[in-house]
Amino acid sequence: MANSDHPPRFSLFLIRWLCKDELVEELEGNLIQYYKEKERVPFRAIRYWRQVIQYLRPSTLKSLKTQISGPMFIFNPLLTFRNLYRHKSTSLISIFGFALGLVATFFLYSYIHSEVTTDHFHANKGEIYRTVRVSDINGTPYRIGVTSVPYAQALLNDFPEDILEVTRVVPQDGLVTVEEKRFMENNVVFADDNFFEFFSYPLKAGDKSSVLATANSVVLSPSAATKYFGTDDPLGQLIKMDNEYEFIVSGVMDEFPANSHLDFNMVFSIDLLEGFDWFDGWWNNSLHTYVRVPNPARAHQLEGKLDQFMEKYMGDDFARSGSKVGLELEPLEDIYFNDETRYDFARHGNYASIVTLAIVTIAILFIACFNYVNLSIAQSFTRAKEVGVRKVLGGAKSRLIFQFLTESLLILFISILLSIGICELLLPVFNASFGLEVELNWLDQNVVIFMLVLVLVIILTSGVYPALLLSSFKSVAILRGSKLSSGKNVGLRKALVVTQFAISIFLIVASLLIGIQTSFLNSKDLGFDKEAVVLVDLNNSGIRHNREQFKDRLLGHANILQVSSFSGEPGGFYDASAFEVTGIDKPPSRMRTLFTDTEYFNLMGIEIVAGRSFSKEVASDQEFAVVLNEKAVAELGVDPEEAIGRKVTMPGWDIANVPIVGVAKDYHFISLRDEIEPLAILCGGFHRKLAVKINMRDAKDQLVFIDQTFSELAPGFPMSYQFLDDRLGDLYEKETQQTRIFSAFSGLSIFLACLGIFGLAAYAAQQRQKELGIRKVLGAPQSS
Amino acid sequence: MRGTNLGEFEELLLLIVLILQEEAYMLRIKDEIKNQVNRSISMGALHTTLSRLEKKDFLKSEMGGATAERGGRRKRIYELTADGKVSLQQAKEMRASLWSQVPSFELKFNG
Repeated sequence: MANSDHPPRFSLFLIRWLCKDELVEELEGNLIQYYKEKERVPFRAIRYWRQVIQYLRPSTLKSLKTQISGPMFIFNPLLTFRNLYRHKSTSLISIFGFALGLVATFFLYSYIHSEVTTDHFHANKGEIYRTVRVSDINGTPYRIGVTSVPYAQALLNDFPEDILEVTRVVPQDGLVTVEEKRFMENNVVFADDNFFEFFSYPLKAGDKSSVLATANSVVLSPSAATKYFGTDDPLGQLIKMDNEYEFIVSGVMDEFPANSHLDFNMVFSIDLLEGFDWFDGWWNNSLHTYVRVPNPARAHQLEGKLDQFMEKYMGDDFARSGSKVGLELEPLEDIYFNDETRYDFARHGNYASIVTLAIVTIAILFIACFNYVNLSIAQSFTRAKEVGVRKVLGGAKSRLIFQFLTESLLILFISILLSIGICELLLPVFNASFGLEVELNWLDQNVVIFMLVLVLVIILTSGVYPALLLSSFKSVAILRGSKLSSGKNVGLRKALVVTQFAISIFLIVASLLIGIQTSFLNSKDLGFDKEAVVLVDLNNSGIRHNREQFKDRLLGHANILQVSSFSGEPGGFYDASAFEVTGIDKPPSRMRTLFTDTEYFNLMGIEIVAGRSFSKEVASDQEFAVVLNEKAVAELGVDPEEAIGRKVTMPGWDIANVPIVGVAKDYHFISLRDEIEPLAILCGGFHRKLAVKINMRDAKDQLVFIDQTFSELAPGFPMSYQFLDDRLGDLYEKETQQTRIFSAFSGLSIFLACLGIFGLAAYAAQQRQKELGIRKVLGAPQSS
Repeated sequence: MRGTNLGEFEELLLLIVLILQEEAYMLRIKDEIKNQVNRSISMGALHTTLSRLEKKDFLKSEMGGATAERGGRRKRIYELTADGKVSLQQAKEMRASLWSQVPSFELKFNG
């Protein structure tokens, strides 16, 4: 009971803490009595607290001044600003330099963060694996991202305890028709109906379990939905694929919450593809198969059983072709950075360059901090006299330290606010100039922690040191005007400057090296002529059917010089196949294959080192003839001349006893990242692309002519084309982009370092004004 | 000293303090105001006005006895100074003189 009579202790504490000491007794008494008297009144607590709060008013509160001992030594923002203003140039350099460093750090952090967290938004991310096939070219294994249709069901049947779910994703491109409008879409996928449950791509409209359930359903990205239907509701609308198949929009995706290795505009139900006969073979590797397993340990177990699995379904084929293909599981989160994986349609990042950028970020941060610390230490010495006066008037050491710390906190706060402002302002510029889609998230846990730690560290270095140093000076000595250069302090500053420049020089060298590397990628002689070649996709059956007619018509144009078609352009797709060559007993070696026509070598300007190239005149060339590259001949262990005339058999392709007619000089038919591999170039076969060598003068006319011819032969399909040099540039797009980011930011860090030195030098000159003046008066010429 | 004229609330407070005599401490003053003129004033607000009156030298205060219901804390008992009594008197006379000049029919109409 005693307690119910006693008012909340916190209220009395509040009164004691905040109100004037001489009033406390009376106020407490009043409140206690009030509380007791109101025992039977409803809402006593509320009434009581109202009284307490009402008591906190100017007439009862302690004055702020008496709380801290003396106005002379309280935190004085005005003084800080005055100091900043007095040393305009130095403060400008230190605040802006620091803010600039922070801006760069924030940008790079956001970029690195978005790269590193690719695919982290999937709810089942730890359980999802992609199946990759492992093959090898003459002993060097390589991984292939694509698998074929039957894998999914077979895996699910054979390992029911290990695999919870499978899903397949087929990349396609196709012509999408909406009413009268046509669009050539490159980022289209067909997927199983559990796609949206398996992955966590968000849906704005539609239910994730049923959105792909019907055979003719399609889910659009928000941008595709706006492109096709504007502001109309896309749900239930009709779109046509390749002028033939009708789909009904059953859902709309939302923007992806983060980067993902899959990039698609629309998801079609896979049911349409099930109907095609090419869809079913074990060797038609054209899609990604993903599996979900209960945990990583299970995945590891499962991997051990996959060799048997491959043997079970493809053992016969392995025996026939003499080469085996293995199967592995690749964790979802690793896909993005496994850029070694060949022939997949996933987007990839480069881990090494992310690490490099992280190093640059840290370097920039260091330089910015060093600058700031240096300048603020240097500057604080100009305030020695102020400290002296304060000490004489009785300022305690702890007060002085407090004052310096709060001042540097204020400056830091200004810099951080400034940098956040600049970041928001420059973000679009940054994204546009580097072709990125970085978003800044200030509430990101890491950013907040980072800022707190940064502030703490900088306060410790730039605030505590001068605070301790200055406040420990003997005031008499200061006021007498004796010199304040303590040797230890200059040593620290020098060390900082030296480190700063070491970092900058390191960055300069690194960016030079990277620059050389990139220009190597762009200017290296590839062994063929990449200029003035237009690549036209033979992307529909109409144009594929009329291929030869297309070529003839094109050659009719005066400014179209040469035409050739092939299965894969340089930098594009090359199948690997087992080879047997007569007279060579070594086990069959595997080579990349390229199917093309008689004009290929001429058009590309590829040199023949032995034998001849394909010829129109030789009838047998039309029924497959082979030209090997030097690397392939070397693998076979014979001289180029010796290789001519031998017969080649390719068990995987039903090609037997085809003569080798020539040997071509090695050229870079795949990316410069990889070494040149053995390549067999065959005349004939299935062609995916057409290369047109044109006269670049009035190139537009030629392009228009190609386009016209294309649409006459394949009505209803828009032509998609690309210049070969652009196509090759695309291979190194990521490299080029990251080099640009790297050089821009290492440039910035060098700038920051110079800014710091300039600041220090200007400060030193200012300090020595008197000395310089005396020297001049005594007749020193300016040059000395 | 600042202006010595009395505000309406100040005059009311002085009168209440006079009425309460020995009992003129915060809670009683608050209760009395509630009972007599039916105004609910918080102790904080009262404190402000009372201390203002003290500053004007119309009131003086001293700490009185401690009681159990106050948790052993003493109370502050207010008392009018001579100045306070004089200015209260003046206020009353000023009013009386003003009232006497009001024509009597005006009152009837409003009454």
